[in-house]
Amino acid sequence: MTRFISHSAEETEQFAEQFAKKLRPGDVVACFGGMGMGKTVFAHGLARGLGLSDEVSSPTFALVQEYTDGNIPLYHFDMYRVSDFDALYSTGFFDYLEQDGVLLIEWSEQIESALPPGAIRLSFARLDENTRELTIEGEGF
Amino acid sequence: MRILAIDTSSQSAGCALLEDGRLLGEFFTNVKLTHSQTILPMVQSLLDQTRASLSDVDLFAVTTGPGSFTGLRIGLSAVKGMAHALGKPCVGVSTLEALAWQFCGQELLVAPVLDARCAQVYTALFRWEGETLTRLEPDQAIPIAQLEQRLKNEKNAVFLVGDGAEMCYNMLNERVPLLRLAPPTMRYTHAGALALAAERAAGLGYTVSAEQLAPAYLRLPQAERELLAKQQSV
Repeated sequence: MTRFISHSAEETEQFAEQFAKKLRPGDVVACFGGMGMGKTVFAHGLARGLGLSDEVSSPTFALVQEYTDGNIPLYHFDMYRVSDFDALYSTGFFDYLEQDGVLLIEWSEQIESALPPGAIRLSFARLDENTRELTIEGEGF
Repeated sequence: MRILAIDTSSQSAGCALLEDGRLLGEFFTNVKLTHSQTILPMVQSLLDQTRASLSDVDLFAVTTGPGSFTGLRIGLSAVKGMAHALGKPCVGVSTLEALAWQFCGQELLVAPVLDARCAQVYTALFRWEGETLTRLEPDQAIPIAQLEQRLKNEKNAVFLVGDGAEMCYNMLNERVPLLRLAPPTMRYTHAGALALAAERAAGLGYTVSAEQLAPAYLRLPQAERELLAKQQSV
């Protein structure tokens, strides 16, 4: 388990960039924690760490954003509105698991029982207005 | 009658050209490449290598599901596009039935199984008696445990085939002694078998237009569908 205390959005982004360098194709990063935790800046850092030069935006409306302009593709999901198996199926989630990319899944609470066994769990907790505790659980972390 | 068959419904992808029961050519791949990037070049190669032209195709066949959400849409889109442009009819075949057709002419039971994830499979049950195929179970999404219940009382050998076959065989073979695993050359969906299934269906009049062709996604039972979030399942 890895714990990191971030004091700013910049620190979260830098931490994500370093974290990304340990990821391998096929890894699934499941995010837990509500809104305003810094998940979007984390996604920016993660994409940069994977060597991607695409512009990262929130997948809330698209459900999934694909970033492929770099070394390892990143598939960025937002499961906020996904609540049953059929909805999950029709995001193409199971097909993305077969691709050799990294999956970053926001609102993993929604699909917890469908996460693959080896998923890396990333939890965000709010300590005060600007301070966040990030916890990473998974093999090698 | 010339049939061009396309399958991108599960892990593998392939296409085949069949003329009056004779397989003229077949292409099969099972690698982690996106079907959307491989299927049309595959069709082009098949046509080139068999010296055939797309305009010679009389009927298009495609697996309509169950299977991968993205995969089904890729295969259906490709077939709809070609059939619509050429004004030719189509036949949609259940992915599970196409898998069963790989055993055409045998005397045995076939249980096609596709991995539906989360310990679920898409499955059905068929009996081949020579040229006669009988469907014993409809296409269903069921937990693997239920598949075990279904198969363990069978008095005859049951052949598992499909992208979930090896997984199910490894999980169940000790408790279901008459379970058999299709050999590697027959384990995944082959477009040649799909073309044979489509030929028979077309003979029975089951053709549709490109516009009518539709995917057949299988829905899970209500109880299974809602158990996604962990706190709900406790």
